[in-house]
Amino acid sequence: MTAITADKVSFTSSMYKGRIAHVRNWAYLGLLAGLAAMAMFAGDGYVQDNFVFQMFSLEGVKWMAGGAVIGMGYAFTTSESKFRAFRFSEILVPWLDGAVLMVALMGLYTLFEPAEAMITYEDQSNLFSGRVVMTMNIALLFSALCYIAYLFAPDSFIGKLGTATAWIGVYAGGSALLLRWYESYLLMGGDIGHAPVSNLYEVFILLFCVICVIYLTLESRHNARGLGAFVLPIVAAGIFFSIWLESIGQSDIKPLVPALQSYWMKIHVPLNFIGYGSFAVACAAGMAWLFRNRLEQGGSQSRLLSVFPSLKQLDNLAYKAVAIGFPAFTLATILGAAWAAEAWGGYWSWDPKETWALIVWLVYGAYLHARFSHGLQGKTLAWWAVLGFLVTIFCFVGVNMYLSGLHSYGQLT
Amino acid sequence: MKFYHHTLKPILNRVGSMPVAILLLLLLSVASVIGTVLQQNQDQADYLHQFGPTWYWTFRALGLFDMYHTWWFMSILGLLMFSLAACLLRNTPRFLQEMKNRKGTMNENARKHIEQKFDLTFDDKEKAISSIKTSLPDWKWMETKVGNVLWLRGDKGRFHKWGYITVHSAMLVILIGGWLSVQFGFRGNMAVPEGGKESEISFLKGTTTDYLKMPFEIRCDDFTVNFFSTGAPSEFRSTLTIIDDGKEVMTKDIIVNEPLSYKGVRIYQASFGDGGSMVTLKLHRLNKKGNVDIAKARVYTKFNDPYSDVSLELKDFRPYNIENMADPGKPKHFKDMGPAVDFVIRGEGLTPVLVRSFMNPFIINGKNQGSYMMISTTGDARDFETYLLGLDFSEPKEWQLFQAFVHSLPTEQGATKEDNLNAFRAALDEVYPDGRPSDLPMLGNRVLQALKVLPDMPWPFVPVLEDYDQTYYTGLQLAKDPGMNVVWIGSALLVGGLCIMFYVAHRKVWVKIQEQENGQVKVEVTGLSNRNPVAFEQEFEDLEKQIKTAYDQGVKV
Repeated sequence: MTAITADKVSFTSSMYKGRIAHVRNWAYLGLLAGLAAMAMFAGDGYVQDNFVFQMFSLEGVKWMAGGAVIGMGYAFTTSESKFRAFRFSEILVPWLDGAVLMVALMGLYTLFEPAEAMITYEDQSNLFSGRVVMTMNIALLFSALCYIAYLFAPDSFIGKLGTATAWIGVYAGGSALLLRWYESYLLMGGDIGHAPVSNLYEVFILLFCVICVIYLTLESRHNARGLGAFVLPIVAAGIFFSIWLESIGQSDIKPLVPALQSYWMKIHVPLNFIGYGSFAVACAAGMAWLFRNRLEQGGSQSRLLSVFPSLKQLDNLAYKAVAIGFPAFTLATILGAAWAAEAWGGYWSWDPKETWALIVWLVYGAYLHARFSHGLQGKTLAWWAVLGFLVTIFCFVGVNMYLSGLHSYGQLT
Repeated sequence: MKFYHHTLKPILNRVGSMPVAILLLLLLSVASVIGTVLQQNQDQADYLHQFGPTWYWTFRALGLFDMYHTWWFMSILGLLMFSLAACLLRNTPRFLQEMKNRKGTMNENARKHIEQKFDLTFDDKEKAISSIKTSLPDWKWMETKVGNVLWLRGDKGRFHKWGYITVHSAMLVILIGGWLSVQFGFRGNMAVPEGGKESEISFLKGTTTDYLKMPFEIRCDDFTVNFFSTGAPSEFRSTLTIIDDGKEVMTKDIIVNEPLSYKGVRIYQASFGDGGSMVTLKLHRLNKKGNVDIAKARVYTKFNDPYSDVSLELKDFRPYNIENMADPGKPKHFKDMGPAVDFVIRGEGLTPVLVRSFMNPFIINGKNQGSYMMISTTGDARDFETYLLGLDFSEPKEWQLFQAFVHSLPTEQGATKEDNLNAFRAALDEVYPDGRPSDLPMLGNRVLQALKVLPDMPWPFVPVLEDYDQTYYTGLQLAKDPGMNVVWIGSALLVGGLCIMFYVAHRKVWVKIQEQENGQVKVEVTGLSNRNPVAFEQEFEDLEKQIKTAYDQGVKV
């Protein structure tokens, strides 16, 4: 019996090891390259609103399959001894698999979409993405409860349940956003189709997914499940906010103002949220550090201490999260400046959002300096990560709610 | 030189030190926050109204209304540049030195504290060396001989420290780029009406508006706006012709996000508005005669009524007015209310009010409720209240009917309902001799409503929009930014440097090769990485296997 289970485990894990992973990875990469080549060279070139349809036409299949075959060919010719090439594939392929699964889920959902005659811009309550988002909300709220329970029952399956439901939440959220993208083309005869990163409600869903993915990756790599009891409650708080947003009608798909009608939006916004998301994870690690420190100082013998990552690990996890977020946030801000240069006539206007992004950048830049130039660790940095995230929250939501400026399309009305 | 060592160097060290940099960054953050909380570059009158005279003048003296361009804010940025430069000047030589000097050996004591290490034994020394080197291709090797012990030191990612240098120089480059933009660039707005020409931009400088002449003229040949069915603009497009030295040199369409560039000046589509449309209003006199006059004027001008002291200041005209007609909470229902003109109506003894007059009557559920207008007593568009005028003024006969009805109404006291009805019938016969209009019941209601409302009007006439000839102006933003490319170079350096800093690990390997008395070769390998210890541990385990395999396969050098 045990032998069979062992075999089973080795089968699934073998999918992510060695040549199998390598070939699959290069097939995916080749497919993406084929897609990019089609956008550049095929037919009349890239027409944003038409591209998805082109992708699923015979032409798209030809380009993508061609790319995939070339990629696989390359992978087959790689010699076995090139371990590094294999490791690159082994790291990348789970992400690509996940992306494929998300797209497949979205394709599945389209079957549940109401008939065309039932879909109106004026009343969007029957669109299917709303239900998928609700699934995400429930999964992530449940996951938060599981992670908290895990601290008190580390031996039970509840920790694994937390991880599993968090992944379900990620896939539900990600595929719901993809579906929303598709749905935006169903309204008003396709005139208002746009990527689902254009208002607070949509970016909140994106943020939940980003936070969870960053956390879950760190969890699996560093065996840090105890941290989930701090990350997921942050997500849960966000979910209550987004449910409120939905209740005041912020969840409607609306046409884009001319300033947002640019491919830059698809790059600038998600990149920014990689930054925000990882700062949230850093904040959770900081809170966990402070919590554990409190327990240790009090001489607690609590079993919590045994399931919790050590202070050093938590410190390191917070840094890891910032190390993901800081370059992403920097790049996002720079690309935002590039967009501003194209749309507003200047790369920097001291707009409130820009200014607060600068402040956030300075806060985390100072965090890194404190760590490396001054060798600070522990309590100060833990507090820094927590307070830094408060500044981030203000930059993300507060600026939209309380200050006005050029970024006012994120505003609550 | 002496001056440098005794005077300049301590100053540079102090300015380039971390506490000074932190202080400057803190100052910059706090100052920036003020600028986000206090809205910048608003109308001075609004500020005065908002803060009262004391605070207004205090803030104004500190330059808080255009804070990011004040001397003191610039000074913070300047000092920051100075501090960065000093920091670079101080640390770069040290980093370069550290990158150059590599210690080829490692003492036993140091090795004890390092986690990643393993020992191997081989027969052939040369073969062992070559197996090690082939197992770590692309590594930089250095050999040191101490007695009969051979030390190999290998490095990968030695340029890691360049990350720090690049990031800090990049920030300096960006700041220099920003300074170039402010010093040698400009940015301002111009409004060009359709068919009109313009060559001057206006921009705010402190608390005043300044103007700058461009080296060319811009003509707006055409302007179009498309709307979504919600009434929000989906696209606005200007066809512009650049006229340089009297010659037309370029004609091009621009939209938001797609500017055009001429002589280093980028021209952006920023906004649009009414460019002085010609509007025609009908003035229905509220006198015995009830005659109708025509008022014709352009938006942004004033129409003085020749028969009274009342004037209309035309403020704005919009051909579409899309409103959500659904009750709050219900699915939205958008409806275009048609063209409307905004004007302020003034006169002796009249409260000046802002009026929005619509051309079309208000029709709900297919029932004509008559013409209407919106009136705001504060002059603020948010305070508009709707007034139904009763009559459908777009149908001239209804005004005639109303006049006829009022004239034939019995004036003496004690008139019965029957008398009124007869008067209405008589009026109908007079105005509609060829038969009654089809929506007679509604018409009756409208006339009764007019009878209630119109006599109470404070104005000598009822102004209703009759016709229009619309022109837009296109709002352009013009900018010249000689520092922009410098900023992009700095940004690229910044991102590159950050990636090196965060994702390139400097990994070092020391190999001690010592021939034993029994003829065997003892190889002690020690590894150190400044980043990502977990991955390095894995790599190090692999390395042990690889060296053995390479040795067994007898790889050639």
